[in-house]
Amino acid sequence: MRVFRRPGAIVLALVLIAVAGAVFAADAFAQGAPFGAKPAAPPPSGFAGWVLAEQAKFFRALSAAIREAKADGSAAYGLFWLSFLYGAFHAAGPGHGKAVISAYLVADGATIPRGIALSAAAAFVQALSAIALVGIAALLLGATARAMGETVRWLEIGAYTLIIVFGLLLAWRKGRAFLRSFVAWRTGKPAPERADHDHDHHAHDHSHGHGHGHDHDHDHCGHAHGPELEDLKGRGWLKRGLAAVFAVGIRPCSGAILVLAFALSQGIFLVGVASTFAMAVGTAITVAVIAILAVVAKDVATRLAAGSNGAGMVAIRGLEFAGALVVILLGVLLITGLIASERMFPV
Amino acid sequence: MIRGPLKTALTVAVLLFGTAAANAHPHVWVTVKSELVFAADGTVEAVRHAWTFDEMFSAFATQGLDTDKDGKLTREELAELAQTNVDSLKEFGYFSFGKSGGKDVTFGEPKDYWLEADKDNVLTLHFTLPVVAKPAKGEMTVDVYDPTWFVDFSFAEKDPVALANAPAGCTVDVKGPDEASTAPTNLSESFFNNLTASSQFGSQFASRVSLRCK
Repeated sequence: MRVFRRPGAIVLALVLIAVAGAVFAADAFAQGAPFGAKPAAPPPSGFAGWVLAEQAKFFRALSAAIREAKADGSAAYGLFWLSFLYGAFHAAGPGHGKAVISAYLVADGATIPRGIALSAAAAFVQALSAIALVGIAALLLGATARAMGETVRWLEIGAYTLIIVFGLLLAWRKGRAFLRSFVAWRTGKPAPERADHDHDHHAHDHSHGHGHGHDHDHDHCGHAHGPELEDLKGRGWLKRGLAAVFAVGIRPCSGAILVLAFALSQGIFLVGVASTFAMAVGTAITVAVIAILAVVAKDVATRLAAGSNGAGMVAIRGLEFAGALVVILLGVLLITGLIASERMFPV
Repeated sequence: MIRGPLKTALTVAVLLFGTAAANAHPHVWVTVKSELVFAADGTVEAVRHAWTFDEMFSAFATQGLDTDKDGKLTREELAELAQTNVDSLKEFGYFSFGKSGGKDVTFGEPKDYWLEADKDNVLTLHFTLPVVAKPAKGEMTVDVYDPTWFVDFSFAEKDPVALANAPAGCTVDVKGPDEASTAPTNLSESFFNNLTASSQFGSQFASRVSLRCK
């Protein structure tokens, strides 16, 4: 079988899929066993414990900074800096669409600029969502925490449903591309040109200036190297990217809600709004770093697969299809509550 | 041939794993004071909790509850929230895990619950958890923690725990979560062991009340 000539590509694809599985397995683990059963605890030590401890520190410093900003307006700058740092650390936690965005980037012609743009947009939408929630519910309507919690629950259901629908559309698209490449590989004929089949058959060589001077022909399989014209022109990418941003962004993050509610109680709601945006910048950076990891991983896989014509193409298409399936799975696990999103104290 | 890409893939895996493992994280901090209440026969019949929330969560939770708009939150204004709190805490086992004589101690529905707000409107939830089956005499532990780590529980530094109607010779102490365990370490073997940690690991994470009677 020709496909096994590039075991590296196959291994990498499998490892990536396994990692995606592990990401939400770890999520599910963090959620813990049902009560009554032996409760499990998340790991408090090592890297994870360090992140936890840092987040706790930031969060406490945040509430102190909001108090200070109330007494002295110039303290607000310290608050914004803290919010930024908190956002960056906090985004290493659940939610914030890391997994969904990363899986999407693997599935759909990933580039680093796209990864950054999507991460930033998602963080921004999340900030807007939290501001709209607290602004409308608490400030205008005088709603209770319980009402806000219920609103968040509805937003969650909407967001997770969108993720599933989005994943299904993506899987349909990528599944067909996978099948086509498989058929092309088995029959030895190039896959037929299809209108909805973005940027795969333009046979562009990759000698554009990225510094990695590989000169082999990428055949039908090169597209993960940077913002190429075909990619950025759209061909549905922007539409799908925005759908992904919206799906992961409309569920506001609990940290932002708490900061806004506290700022509101201190009579400095607008400072809270600014702080939420500062937090979004930090969140965007962390999510972007993880998204870039996904892009780079796919890029490595693409390069490995590039040498082996059809078989490599099948592997990459398979990887993309798997990415789309992971999006669906994440949506399903989120909506069924099997993986933890965020929870506050029950109110 | 496999080595190169495999190594890359594993590096990526470790990084993603690291962030995934850090997933659960608290948004709410609770400072706990607990009291073990004894029955006439010298066994513990209830745990009386007083949980003080952090000011951010307090601000969120009390949103819209100051119905007379006087800036102060009365017990009456907070009554509905207290009811909701204890009702929904059931699903989480009241975050209280008792053990006595090697067996789990089960708690019944909370009694005497109310919320009070201090001058900064920081909330304290008071409730009493009755013990369902009589625990062994003179020996009991209660861990207070959220195994899913969304709520961070720690015992108060001053008077974290007390005894009510205790027979002579009983002492109680509190041990906090192992602070040292949160120090940064390498992504070593222990990191992966942690990922598969069993429930024993949780108690290291918890704040534990230990009762001893002579």
